[in-house]
Formats: sequence, C-alpha cells, structure tokens
Amino acid sequence: MKLLIIEDEPSLRNSIREYLEHQGFICEVAADFREAIDKVGDYEYDCIVADIGLPFGSGLDVIRELKTLKSKAGIIIISAKDSLEDKLSGLELGADDYLTKPFHLSELNARINALLRRKNFDGNTSISFFEITIIPASKTVLVHDKSITLTGKEYQLLVYFIANQHRVVTKSALAGHLWGDAYDQAGSYDFIYTHIKNLRKKMLEAGGEDYIKTVYGTGYRFG
Amino acid sequence: MKLLTKTTLYFILIMLPVFAAGAYYLFHKFNKEIKHETDEELVNDQLEWLRYLDTASLDNPIFRFHTQEFQLIPTDQPIQKKFKLKGVNLYQETEDTQAPFRELSQVISIHGKNYQLILRKSMIEKDDLAKNIITVMLLAFGGLLVFVILSNWFISRNIWSPFYRSLDKIRQLQLNKMETLQFNRTPTHEFNQLNDALNQMTDRIHQDYINMKELTEDAAHEMQTPLAIAQSKLELLLQDENLSEEQLKNIGQTSEELQRLSRLNHSLLLLAKIENQQYPVTEQTDLHPVLLKYLSLFEELIREKELTVDTKLAPAAPWPLHPALADILVSNLLGNAIKYNYPEGRISITLTQTSLTISNTSNLPEIPPANVFQRFRKSNQGYSNSNGLGLAIVKKIGDSYRINIRYQYRNGLHIFTATC
Repeated sequence: MKLLIIEDEPSLRNSIREYLEHQGFICEVAADFREAIDKVGDYEYDCIVADIGLPFGSGLDVIRELKTLKSKAGIIIISAKDSLEDKLSGLELGADDYLTKPFHLSELNARINALLRRKNFDGNTSISFFEITIIPASKTVLVHDKSITLTGKEYQLLVYFIANQHRVVTKSALAGHLWGDAYDQAGSYDFIYTHIKNLRKKMLEAGGEDYIKTVYGTGYRFG
Repeated sequence: MKLLTKTTLYFILIMLPVFAAGAYYLFHKFNKEIKHETDEELVNDQLEWLRYLDTASLDNPIFRFHTQEFQLIPTDQPIQKKFKLKGVNLYQETEDTQAPFRELSQVISIHGKNYQLILRKSMIEKDDLAKNIITVMLLAFGGLLVFVILSNWFISRNIWSPFYRSLDKIRQLQLNKMETLQFNRTPTHEFNQLNDALNQMTDRIHQDYINMKELTEDAAHEMQTPLAIAQSKLELLLQDENLSEEQLKNIGQTSEELQRLSRLNHSLLLLAKIENQQYPVTEQTDLHPVLLKYLSLFEELIREKELTVDTKLAPAAPWPLHPALADILVSNLLGNAIKYNYPEGRISITLTQTSLTISNTSNLPEIPPANVFQRFRKSNQGYSNSNGLGLAIVKKIGDSYRINIRYQYRNGLHIFTATC
C-alpha cells in the first residue's frame, strides 16, 4: 500500500512516515503545496494524508486537484485548526476523514487501515492475525475458525490492536479511539482495563494466544 | 431627566423672577404716572373751582358742600398758601369696600371767609391696572413657555436627531459587526466631533478585538503543531524495546501531561470561539438524542462506579443551539455528575422543552456560588484530570446563547440547571 504524507513540519512528517513504514506502508512525503501537486499528478496513491495549512497553498486545494484527477485515493486531513468550517469543507470536497492535531500515530494508522479496507474492498475483506480472523462487514471475530462474541468496544479494541500490532499503544490513545473527545470527562483510564481484561479472557477461552502485553505504566502492546 | 426638559426648566426658573420684576416695575411706573396725572387734574379742577367761587354770589349754597369728590366747608383755620396732595382710602357704601382716592386740600378765603376746600379723584383704576398688568404678564409668560416648549421639541427633532442616531448605533453595537459601523457627517460641528471620536474609538476597539481574536486562535493553533510533534516523538520513543520500566513510565507520564496541555489549549480556544459567537444558531438541536448519546458513551463509567441514573426526558427538546455546543453542554454537565460522584451514588436527569437539570450526589461540599463557574477554580480534592474549564465553558455557552445556567446545592445534591 502506497501513501503520500503532505505535511510541512519536517519533524512531524518524519514521525508519521517512520510509524507508518514500520506498519508496512510505502510512504512518500511532500513538504509543500507544489510538491504535493506534482506528486499527486505523477503517481497513484492508495491513501493521502494531508495537512491543510501548507506553504504556497492549501491542503483543500490538493483535495480539489485529486478530485479533478479522478483519483481513487483515500484522503485523511490532519489539521491543527480544530475549526468546523475546515472540517466540513474538507469532507464536502471529498476527504474521507479528519484528524485534529495533536493526534496519536496509532490512531492515524488505525484510520488509514479502516479507510483502505473500505475503499479497496468495499469492506469485503478479512483481517487476520495468526489464529484470529476478523470479518469487518459482519463484525465477526473468529479464533481458530470458531466465532466468539465480543461487545462493540471489545471489537473496536481488537481491530485497533491488530492495526497497530507490535507497537506500544498508550491508554489515552485507546480511550480517544473508543470515546472520542468525551473521554476527557472520564477522570481515569481504569475502565479501559476492564474492557481489555474481558477481551483477553474471551480470546483465551477460545483457545487463542494471549497477545495483549501490558506495558508498565503506559499502555499495551499487541503481538 | 432629558437634557431638553432640563434646559426648559432652567429657562422657566430664570424667566419667572424676570417676569415678576418686570410686572412690579410696570405697575410701579404706571401707578406713579396715574398719580401724577390725577394730581394734575386735581390742580386744574381746583383752579376752575377757585375761579368759579370767586365769581359766585355770597349766598350760594355751594359754600357748604360735602361730597366725596368735592368738599367746601367753612373753617377757622388760617389760609394756606399752598395746596396739599395725598392719597386716602375711603369707604364706598355701594361696594362695601375701601377705595383709594387722591386728595387735594387747601384752606382758602372766599369773600373774606375761610373755607376748607377738598377735591378728590378716585384711583379705582389702580386695581384694574395691576390686574391688567398681571394678566398681560401671565399671557406673555405662558406664550413664551408654549413657544419655548414647541421650539425645543422642534430643535430636539431636528438638531438633535444626529445625536440620537449615533446613540442608537452605539446601543446596537456588536463586537463582531463593528467594521460595518460608520458614524456619518452631520451639519452640526459638535456632533461631527463626537462622531469622529466614536469612529476612531470603534475602529480601535474593532482592531483590538480582531487582534485578540487572531492572537487567541493563532496561539492555540500554533501550539497544536509543536504538541503534535512532541506527542508523535514520544509515541515513537515508546516503541524502543530496550527501555526500562522506569523509562517507559516517564515517557508515559510525559505523554499524559502533553495530552493535558493539548486539552487545555483546546478548551481555551473553545472558550474564545464561543465568546466570539463563532457557533451561529442555524437550527434547533434536539437535546434528547444528545443526552442518550452521552449516556451510552459514559455507560462504562456509570457502571464502574455503580451509579444509579434516573431520567425523566421529554421525547423531544429542540433548543436553539449549535449541535457542537449542545454536545459540549451535555457532556460537560453529565461528565461532572459522574466524575465527582461517589461509588453507588445517584444522578438524576430531567429534560423538558426549556430546561435541563442534572443533579448528583458527591463527597464534595457545596461549591461557593462565586467560584462555581470561574475558570481554573477546581476542587483540590484529588480529581487531577479536571482542567477547571468545564463549567466555565458551560457558563460561557449560556451567556453567549441566552441560556440561563444555575447551580444549587440541596440535601447533599449538586444541581445544575440550564434553562433556555
């Protein structure tokens, strides 16, 4: 899968690239509007991650250009401006998703994965990790080909973990993924632990391995 | 009191003594004139009489004459060379009053005999004179009053109209619509000066407002990028398998603090945006589904604390509020009710067409009313996840969109009510 990351901050660009490449994506980068326009004109990408505020132009115009080129690439906007107008006009222009800075790299990765699945296979594909198989279309989870019943939150957790396999995922990233902005109100992340405990138990009961490792004081690593 | 009423009143107060003095002067002057005229007539009459008496025969009955106007009485007094003039009051039988008279008296000699001659003329006109003068003065004063009031009204409508136009404009002033505000030229120098000053003032305020707005937005915006970079670097650092537990813990904590900073930044930006009315009310937002959404989002939290939630929700409660703000209002109030509750506590939620009440049990004492909606006034009782802006944001939404937000403490319950 080939990605284009359009971001003018070199440090952030490199972080995103490093994380996504580690997850198996081929990443191209563009540092400004002109470079972005050149690259989207020259190559096909599966997904484009675009910042809105760029030197020499706007990320929104890159989206317009992509639409005139009839590109099939999925588009995720990453913007520091948490402004509703930006979000709405981005989505109206044909962007598929919108992330406000600062975001967790694991969240960006999970969104790219979900978007690519939707775009390329219309959701008719399965996600596999050793003995675990997930069929997103029906939200079914199979362990050793045996279906297990998960709650909505447990299912979301598992998909998130598999997308970010072998990486340390922080508790706040998990909370943000499951509850969005509302998790500010939680007061603690204890309730994540409950979900993870249940997920782990269900997987073990179905004869699966225990892939969820607790990383001391920080979060979890899957696989 | 209106400026015009005031000037009119002062004008009347000044005119009143002036008119009174004028009336007194006129009365005095006329009175003197009349007296003078009457005296002259009396002297003339006397001359006529003396001439006539000189020629009259001795047995004439006139030599003993007694009326109010003319008296000729024999006397033993010596002859007076000069007549005397004075004013007297005499009883009038027909009118049963005293009436003023001028009197000329002299002892004269007619055919060798001495007589007291008294000639009188009624001064009854004097009273009429005073009455007339007062009437004329009152008429003039009243006329002037009517004239002054009418002209003031006219002046107020015409000359003062630019002033009232400017005043109306100032009253309807809104910070975000200031750039279109212009105080126009008027034909009056003073109002032009006022309008020039107002133009300069509003321009300056508008400029300051724009600067402030941009600063808040830019500052918050600019802060997000370094936060995003730091956040991403920490996340990458976490992936290093050689890190000790202690190091992981430190990175985790740093990352947490960065999150907090970012949330704080987000909240401050939100406060500024609400204050700048950047969330226009374009539609009605039904609070009922919003409440259900957050009740389900917070489901785990509620279950974990084993809280009992009573709900009395109207099937539909459309409020004039931007959907994003409706979300914030509900999530902040409900989130607090959960966060500050104790295990196995209670929350009750009542939603009607015009009001939303959320009350909860808590170990926290009553919040002093002065502090409840203040920024950064958080309880220091071990709720480190609070940034102290939640209720300030709720209050700001209330103030900016005419929703009344009230806090009460009753029977150990913290009660927040929003009324639109």
